[in-house]
Amino acid sequence: MGELVIRIVGSPGDGVISSGDILTLAAARSGRYVSTYRSFPTEIRGVDQSLYQLRISSKKILTPADDVDVLIAFNEKFLRDNISSLKTGGVMIFDSSENNAQFEEFQNVTKYFIPMTNLSKEFATERSKNMVALGILSGLMPNIDIKDEIKSDIRKKYETKGEEVIEQNVQAFEKAYTWARQNIPQKAFLENLAIEKSGKKLILSGCEAMALGALVAGCKFYSGYPITPATEIMEFLAKELPRLGGNVIQCEDEIAAITEALGASFSGVKAMTATSGPGLSLMSEAIGLASMAELPIVIVDVQRGGPSTGMPTKTEQSDLNLAIYGTHGDTPKIVLAPINVEDSFYQTVKAFNYAEKYQVPVIILSDVSLGERRECIDAFNIEDIEVIDRLKPDTIDVNVPYSRYTKTYTGISPISTPGQKGGAYIATGLEHTEDCAPSSKPQIHATMTEKRFKKLDTAQSEFLAARKYGSDDARFGIISWGSTSGPVLEAIDLAEKQGYNIQALYPRIIYPFPTKWINDFLDNKDILLIVERNYCAQFANTIVYRCTCMNKNLQIHNLMKYNGEPFTTNEITTKIDQIIKGQYLKFTTHQ
Amino acid sequence: MLTKTAQSYRSKTNPSWCQDCGDYKVLDALTAAMAVTGVEPHDMVMTSGVGCASRLPFYTNCYGFHTVHGRALPAAIGIKVANKERTVISVGGDGDAFSIGGNHFIHASRKNPDITYIVMDNEIYGMTKGQNSPTSHEDLLTKINPYEVIEDRINPVLMALSFNTSFIARGYCEDEEQLKDIIVKAIQHRGFSFVHVLSPCTQYNHKVTYESCRKRIKQLPENHDTKDRILSMSYALTQEPLYMGIFYDIQRPTLHDKLEHIRELSMNEIGNPANYTLNDVIKQFE
Repeated sequence: MGELVIRIVGSPGDGVISSGDILTLAAARSGRYVSTYRSFPTEIRGVDQSLYQLRISSKKILTPADDVDVLIAFNEKFLRDNISSLKTGGVMIFDSSENNAQFEEFQNVTKYFIPMTNLSKEFATERSKNMVALGILSGLMPNIDIKDEIKSDIRKKYETKGEEVIEQNVQAFEKAYTWARQNIPQKAFLENLAIEKSGKKLILSGCEAMALGALVAGCKFYSGYPITPATEIMEFLAKELPRLGGNVIQCEDEIAAITEALGASFSGVKAMTATSGPGLSLMSEAIGLASMAELPIVIVDVQRGGPSTGMPTKTEQSDLNLAIYGTHGDTPKIVLAPINVEDSFYQTVKAFNYAEKYQVPVIILSDVSLGERRECIDAFNIEDIEVIDRLKPDTIDVNVPYSRYTKTYTGISPISTPGQKGGAYIATGLEHTEDCAPSSKPQIHATMTEKRFKKLDTAQSEFLAARKYGSDDARFGIISWGSTSGPVLEAIDLAEKQGYNIQALYPRIIYPFPTKWINDFLDNKDILLIVERNYCAQFANTIVYRCTCMNKNLQIHNLMKYNGEPFTTNEITTKIDQIIKGQYLKFTTHQ
Repeated sequence: MLTKTAQSYRSKTNPSWCQDCGDYKVLDALTAAMAVTGVEPHDMVMTSGVGCASRLPFYTNCYGFHTVHGRALPAAIGIKVANKERTVISVGGDGDAFSIGGNHFIHASRKNPDITYIVMDNEIYGMTKGQNSPTSHEDLLTKINPYEVIEDRINPVLMALSFNTSFIARGYCEDEEQLKDIIVKAIQHRGFSFVHVLSPCTQYNHKVTYESCRKRIKQLPENHDTKDRILSMSYALTQEPLYMGIFYDIQRPTLHDKLEHIRELSMNEIGNPANYTLNDVIKQFE
């Protein structure tokens, strides 16, 4: 057992993100579960705070938590901004090098005033105050012994900066650790805190998890255009894909990115592109092309605040409508929404499987908070993961013209690959007959549209039921999607402790719309709460619109957040409380 | 292997082009050029965007990807990178290539993929029944420019030279033999080859007729130095007469060469292990 939540805040340039990353890796490598949240200004040298929060636990966790046990602050403003998140009895560590304030008004917390900048100058250079912070923290919690892991992760972090920089940072950390052991007499609850270790884990970000999922699924082609916050996927694949026989191409824009990936897919290779909202908007036409030409492709959208350029480093779930409805025409596609880092990995493998099997574009909706979050996932065997390849014609009779879009019972027709004799065909964005002749005959458009959608019927009949959490007999249901599901599930656990029986449904397949699973879920519910991070209640509106059982006396509520930050668990428990106590607003749709 | 003829590369589909369209002759020259290369139709891939000229892949029996408007080149690059054994040829018109798809031309030139791009230039949007294109004559009035044309026209060959496209040529659809020879050389060229073809639209562009083209064109000197970019630019700048032939033909690393070099560097970085697998990738996250 055991758990600890740490938050580090400072200005950009204070090394907040680096120290958080190191601490996260070290905790994970020591065999504990970790979940993180980080936030920094869009501008590299902005005036807003950099924030890194990590939760270390002996068991699997769903969120980086709301409130913290330890708050490390490099300046007064950000200390004041964050002090309300420090739990009663928590520990505050403040850089007192240039500020003697005693913060008498902060009650019931243990305050350490440590001249971290000055110590940094004394131990190494003034730029290592973040490593001093890690040393102090480690000195305060000797039972969570991750000193060696931290040292090795400092080395890794500064690998490219040369031996001198590495040594300065290791020195700063080690000396600060020793200093803390000798000079901090009263060490609060941290002195005896232990967090149990468990089996082998991988630690990776949501973006890395999707990139790794793509590799495991057999992706051999990636084309992309740089965009925050999706670039990390491209960076990882640019390093690894060439070694595995694949290729990464940097494109001139997102239109080229998706079209190159479609070209690769036409060539018989599993292909992916990743972007954020602005790029997904640009890709819409080519997503329709993939639907029409029935080419497998995976498109990752790491959503950020929108519309337009919006807030590149802030999180939102506002691309749902674009992903589901965004392309002109009747466009069969599949949209997936992973709920956490582990799910980001597995859903990406599935995205490739679905794309290949049903010959449709598959969009994965991640978001800033999930894409950048680092979390532990349990180690796995690659051999245990199912990988599906597209249906190919076994043999082609060269004397009979190949009919690429032959109608079948499943809607799925075998795809040939350039180079295959007798398999030549024209993939086209025009409406076409089964053997690829452009056609605008009424009968052809009607039957070929049905053929393409038939694949979604097939897919739906093969999909597993949407996941539920909590007891089936609950009369109060919550529906969420994507990364909002973490705090929702945690809120259900908390509600249970208050004696509330609540069940959650969190579909990972968002399109084809999970109408059946939602209806089944709502069958015995009296109250429904829909939680999502956008202003227009995009998911809620679609649920109300599509799910017929809305006719009965179901009390529907929704909770939207649209300030660019993820939900806290507390916000959801508060809403639950309000609903149960009758102090609520009815279902609102802004638009 | 049987000797190939132009007919060996034609599909049974009849072109939907108007009767006097120059594109018929380009199709003939292209399929004749394909026959010279001897590459099997199923080893060839054609890509195109949208427009009259972009319908061409349907009239061949090669693999084809008829994409959306302007995107012939990105599709071709993806195909070639993923399937390097194939011969990849993109086709399209002037609006597809230089207006909606203009950006891709620049970056295809930078990447230098081993593909061929044939642009059939009729100086008009024909499929939408006659609007000004980026190569339209400044005096061409159409229904959407009823009073005066605002934009200057672009010079495709000069543009390609400025991007250092590694093979640049211009042909005229009526000079089928020369056009065939140019296309053969373009296909055989290692790198991105661009063939600008004058292909009149008698239906909607009365400024560009077969007669006016014949009067306007002149062959590049036989001894033209195709490695001399500045000299080629001066020929390209000349609009009256309009020079025909191979302007520029240089060798520089192709996209494939670069990608293989990157592969080598990526393996060097980890000490060239004999066998690098996904499990090695996963170890980084332990």
